[in-house]
Amino acid sequence: MIKATQLRKEFELSRQQRKELNTKATRATAVENISFDCQPGRVFSLLGPNGAGKTTTLRMLATILKPSSGSIEIAGIDAVKYPQEARKHIGFLTGSTGLYARLTPIEIIDYFADLYQVSAKEKDERKKYLFDLLNMNEFLHKRMGKLSTGMKQKVSICRTMIHDPSVVIFDEPTSGLDVITAENIIKLIPSCKEQGKTVIFSSHIMSEVDLLCDDLAIVHKGQLKYNGTMPDFRAQMQTSNLTEEFIRIVQTPTL
Amino acid sequence: MIFRIFRKELLDTLRDRRTLMTMLVIPILVFPITLNVFMNISNSFQESASAKIMKIGIAGDKTQSYTQQLEAIPAAVGPKKIIVFKDSAALRTAIESDQIQLGLLIPENVQKLGEQQQTITLNWLLDASEVGRAERAELYAASLKANAEAERLQKLGLRPEQIRPLVVNTVNCASDKKMVGQLAGGFLPYIFIAFGFIGCMYPAIDLFTGEKERGTIETLLTVPVLRWKILLGKMLVVVSSGMVAASCALFGLFISIEFLDLADNKELLEVIHSILTPNFIVSMFALLLPLVIFFAGLMIPIAIYAKSFKEAQSIITPLNILVVLPSMVGFFPGISLDLNTVFIPVINVVLATKALIAGTLTWGYFLSVFGMMCALAVIAIGISYKQFDKEANILN
Repeated sequence: MIKATQLRKEFELSRQQRKELNTKATRATAVENISFDCQPGRVFSLLGPNGAGKTTTLRMLATILKPSSGSIEIAGIDAVKYPQEARKHIGFLTGSTGLYARLTPIEIIDYFADLYQVSAKEKDERKKYLFDLLNMNEFLHKRMGKLSTGMKQKVSICRTMIHDPSVVIFDEPTSGLDVITAENIIKLIPSCKEQGKTVIFSSHIMSEVDLLCDDLAIVHKGQLKYNGTMPDFRAQMQTSNLTEEFIRIVQTPTL
Repeated sequence: MIFRIFRKELLDTLRDRRTLMTMLVIPILVFPITLNVFMNISNSFQESASAKIMKIGIAGDKTQSYTQQLEAIPAAVGPKKIIVFKDSAALRTAIESDQIQLGLLIPENVQKLGEQQQTITLNWLLDASEVGRAERAELYAASLKANAEAERLQKLGLRPEQIRPLVVNTVNCASDKKMVGQLAGGFLPYIFIAFGFIGCMYPAIDLFTGEKERGTIETLLTVPVLRWKILLGKMLVVVSSGMVAASCALFGLFISIEFLDLADNKELLEVIHSILTPNFIVSMFALLLPLVIFFAGLMIPIAIYAKSFKEAQSIITPLNILVVLPSMVGFFPGISLDLNTVFIPVINVVLATKALIAGTLTWGYFLSVFGMMCALAVIAIGISYKQFDKEANILN
């Protein structure tokens, strides 16, 4: 599971950033005291417009960024105090994930399996399972640079799941992908849920959210605007569809 | 885990053509090719110059004495054709229009000067900007001078020793090794430093800025491996690349000496062989390794800070000049390793290598330079780690 409590992230602004933002402030707050829980076997969606603080939040959960304050619990581990331990349980995938173009899929998967300290036996089993599942066997020995976007996406998924993480974090996983390529991700999320994994994903595509999520939180300008289950969200909708309701919530000033 | 990261980064690096070129191909081939081309051009110039018939004009030689003496000089010096001119003006015009290549001007009173046993002054007219002409004129002049001296001594009834009471010779007590060290000692560290730096450059940019640019760093930071281990694994590849590039340059130079007759002097070859002992090579690598780590430590923080390959390259390239320029200190005579220079990075390694070649490097200085460079390398690693640990730097 994931438990985020009073998460806050501040960034120092460089001189150039201050100039661009036309501000004299030396620091900017990207995430302001956000709290939420993601339960195993459920899909949690983090919604928000561009610049809302979704990526920063997910990067903090993935231990890439250290929160300025607040706590994060990943699979029962204090991820702020023990990020190395927490990382063993996390699979992280973003839409902009790059892969080493000069390596082959098999080399990349072996590399990440070794970095996650997966035993040789388990590695072989996981590789076979994932290669078959994702239909990757035909292009395992081709260089990444020569693969199609769909093939690359499969390698990214395989890389994320090679150590069988109990918590999976997707940051706008379908961003920039065509519908057919995005289908791989759309299929992966329910599959993770079925396996009892904790899944959190950020998106601003309401159809994806509608299709996949059990719980959701809406963030805007670093603040939490809504946090609840999908059925509750539907029950209290004041507009006719999800997109309009999302816009309404985002545009409602915080009290 | 550090070794696993090193292995992957090395594989990735070895598949990058640009890095392969700067790490292996250019260092190995640069010396054999450039020196071979240079020597071929130089030899062909010399051959064509020596094969060319030198037209020698002579004016004022009323008795034909100098004309005969010139004709008597063996053809081994170079083929020649002698043309007699009426006066000095015609001779000068012919030289200026390159109708003739050398002009010998005999004074009008040559016979009188000879009879009075005075010094006769002959003048060579030539275009000194043309290669080989002055040298040929000197050879002919030496022959004419020897003839004149012998003739005059004979007239005076003297032996050469009677007018040459003292001969002073200079005996060089420096070993051949020391001489080579002083003359060529600046060259070797220059090659090492220049190629060590260039060898580090592309992997440093590719493994840090490149990883940011391609969006792979984010994934790497989610694995349960401490950041210093990731940094060290990558840094090892950068350092290895620098060391390989420097070694390849040395290897290329060795090939040039051994197989391309760069040093066609047998004695010189023996001296070079006597310098290249295992002890020398180990000592040289011991000096080079901390220097290359220092280079990597200079480049990596820049590569981490830079947002694009282009930005990193634009900062590191001028740094190249800053590093390579001091390495030229080895070419200047009179600068040696002392208590001041031992603490100046780059310069200390150059001077220590020079002394190592000459066989004059003491253990004290060797350890001081090694210690100084190790300390700088540790500081450079520390700075790299600090930069690599900064969230703002690694995530753009």
